[in-house]
Amino acid sequence: MSNRATEMLVSACIRFLQGFPPFDRMEQNALRFLAEHVTLNHYPKGARILSSEMGTAHALYILQRGRVRVRATGGASNLEFSSVTLGPGQAFSIGALMAQRPTSGAYVAREDVFCYELPADDFFALTQKSTVFNLFCTQYIAGLLKQSQQQLQLQFAQRAAEQKTMNSPLSAIVKREPVAVAADASIRQVVELMAERHLGSMVVVDANGHPVGIFTLSDVLKRIVLPGTPLEQAISSVMSAAPQTLPLAANAHDAALAMAMHGIRHVLAVDEGGRLKGVVSERDLFKLQGAGLRQIRHAIDAASSVDVLLHAREDVRQLALTMLAEGGGAQEITQFISTLNDTVTRRIIELNLDRHDLYGIDWAWLSFGSEGRDEQTFTTDQDNGIVYICTDIMDREMTQLRLLEFARDVNADLDKCGFPLCKGNIMASNPELCLTLEEWEERFAHWVRTPEPQALLNATIFFDFRPLYGKFHLAHRMRISLFRQTVGNPLFLRMLAQNALSVAPPLGRIRDFVTDADPEHPGTIDLKKFGVRLFTDAARVFALARQVEATNTVARLRRTGPMMNMSSEEVAASLEGFNFIQLLRLRHQHFEQEHGRAGDNLVRPVELNEIERHILKESFRQARKLQGRLKLDYQL
Amino acid sequence: MSWLSRLFAGQEAGGLTLTAEQQQSIANWRQLPEPELRRSHFRSRYVVVDVEASGINVKTDRLCAIAALALVDGQLRFRDAFQLLLTDAKAVGDPVPRADGILKPIAEDGEPEVDALISFLHFVGKSPLVAYNVPFVAAMIERELAARLGVELALPWIDLAWVMPDLFRQVDQTQTGLDTWLDHFGIESIRRHDAVSDAYVASQMLQIAIAAAAHKGIDTPAGLLELEKARRHMHQSG
Repeated sequence: MSNRATEMLVSACIRFLQGFPPFDRMEQNALRFLAEHVTLNHYPKGARILSSEMGTAHALYILQRGRVRVRATGGASNLEFSSVTLGPGQAFSIGALMAQRPTSGAYVAREDVFCYELPADDFFALTQKSTVFNLFCTQYIAGLLKQSQQQLQLQFAQRAAEQKTMNSPLSAIVKREPVAVAADASIRQVVELMAERHLGSMVVVDANGHPVGIFTLSDVLKRIVLPGTPLEQAISSVMSAAPQTLPLAANAHDAALAMAMHGIRHVLAVDEGGRLKGVVSERDLFKLQGAGLRQIRHAIDAASSVDVLLHAREDVRQLALTMLAEGGGAQEITQFISTLNDTVTRRIIELNLDRHDLYGIDWAWLSFGSEGRDEQTFTTDQDNGIVYICTDIMDREMTQLRLLEFARDVNADLDKCGFPLCKGNIMASNPELCLTLEEWEERFAHWVRTPEPQALLNATIFFDFRPLYGKFHLAHRMRISLFRQTVGNPLFLRMLAQNALSVAPPLGRIRDFVTDADPEHPGTIDLKKFGVRLFTDAARVFALARQVEATNTVARLRRTGPMMNMSSEEVAASLEGFNFIQLLRLRHQHFEQEHGRAGDNLVRPVELNEIERHILKESFRQARKLQGRLKLDYQL
Repeated sequence: MSWLSRLFAGQEAGGLTLTAEQQQSIANWRQLPEPELRRSHFRSRYVVVDVEASGINVKTDRLCAIAALALVDGQLRFRDAFQLLLTDAKAVGDPVPRADGILKPIAEDGEPEVDALISFLHFVGKSPLVAYNVPFVAAMIERELAARLGVELALPWIDLAWVMPDLFRQVDQTQTGLDTWLDHFGIESIRRHDAVSDAYVASQMLQIAIAAAAHKGIDTPAGLLELEKARRHMHQSG
């Protein structure tokens, strides 16, 4: 058979394609491959070229001639295509193809249409052959992700209206240049300056511009007028030392949170070098926010009993929902929930300290598991413990008894406030988890040295510890001793890696997802067990192997990525995957709770829209990539 | 047209020198089942052909090139294309040597030319044939096949020049020609008067034609043939 005929037709097709992006930038051999594998099809005016009823998309369509109208077919997808018209050179069904699903729109010929069609198999081969085309498809999907987020925001928009601007960074809130004085300035100078410039507060800085204290108008009455302090005295004698600072990139939520946690009215914004860049006052935030955050702030701040905190906990949930609605990322939201839960927990601890005398004991309250990783979602139970120092071995039992009594009350109060008691008894009131520093170290060492299944399971919970209250340096010492153990035991890391690989991403060979892992809930995927865990388990191994202190999965991946020669794009891609799964979990849990059910993690892929299914699939692929890295590192 | 082929076949059959292999290959082609004309357009295989000749006179001018494209299930696939060039044409006076020359399938001795024609037979199979201006194209091809292979094609031909005006009555019929149709549908030629290019545009016209025919309830090759027959009858008797 003559090739010249084919050659001529293929060349003509290539010339046509080269008139349009992304084909104009595409590699020659990839373009040739495309032209050699397309078929040319004709659709008369009014014909449906592609629609959801036709089942899984089987080809990529590139318009050669004529126009095509795209309409959303409704149903699960609310994407607004309303009046999109495609013309020559434009391609469609990329999203549906990559997700191997029916398209969500209907593509109808507005006139005689000629269309190049590339069969699905050749489409995937092309994404392998051509980086340009691959990038194009990826960006196309990224565009869809944005659409999906907008859609999500739209869904909640009304309820979110209240707090539109609480996501603004401090750099946007801080307007004027900060006015600061040196520590040796006299009180008179400071007060005069404040009066002259109508300032409500004055920051005291050291020679490097680092804030060392703050003095506010309300201090004038209490610290100067009433005690009769001489005005010639240095400002450092009456200022509040060690003021709260936040990086400029932190947002108004963070500032409000810091104020709530510390019962203060001003937060200082500092740059990366710790130098003062501005002052954020409570009033600045009031201007931004609606009622929600104020309520929560007061609730936690002034909580004198557990009953009051009960409401605060509900507020945390509501606020997290608002953030979800505003399009906040999963990472922000889970961290936010964790931080506010921390605040509630700390307040409960403080309340209980009034009733329990722990004087003279060096101790710290630890959180484990998802709380230890700063990754709490709407449903979360308690995972906590205590570490303490016992100088005299004779006192050990007595000390532990005191701590256990205290812990029991804290655990009970936490339970009342919506942190249910841990079914596995991973709580500070469990004598096994209320240990001296040496005992913790010994326990860690034992798990590392004899990595049997239970030890590995423990590692996944307890090695993600984080101090919440008390002497934080105890936790630091635990971490150092843990690293000493893990670095000296490559076998442990290998076993931990193997454990992390015991669950595979639920990607199907034929169908998109494996949804029958749990016989009691067919058609669902447990996004915790088969989603989030894949990432957290891999990140834990990465972090332990490289002595990275972070417990948060995102932080672990960010810090270990470069050490493992992962490109920033690769790291970003896996973080996006992780965050997307978290976001789906949050949304699902919220939905379940709204309908009065205990929020589980079982998501039905068929109930997601095309885009979400696609992104979910991509997210699982990212998890698979991380697992691949583990396999490579540990030769598994 | 078959009388023409028969005439040539009778005339030249004796002078044919085909190898056993070639004869076997032709016999194999003859054994192929007759075309199935009552299946949907979109389940059928059409072969669209065009020729280049040294002139427009069927009797005196020589065939220079044949191009063919298959339309399978309504789809055009570039790999499913055929072309053969005849060297004799050059000798007779085609002043332009083929520009590419790379894939010229025919050697000097003319022997592979026969093989190329047999390849053409197999490319066509027993599919219904489509062309624009069938009397000329068919005569050229059938004459060549009869002369070189002693083969009578005996396949149904569909002429777009007859079918299109019937399917698109709204199009101004006073000035019809291939170019008019191409302009009307906005079909672009790659290189006008090149056999491959012309077969390609004719294929696209066929795609349009079968869609329009199906819309009118004419949904098989047989239907198109009847449509053409009726129109010819009307025009020739009227």
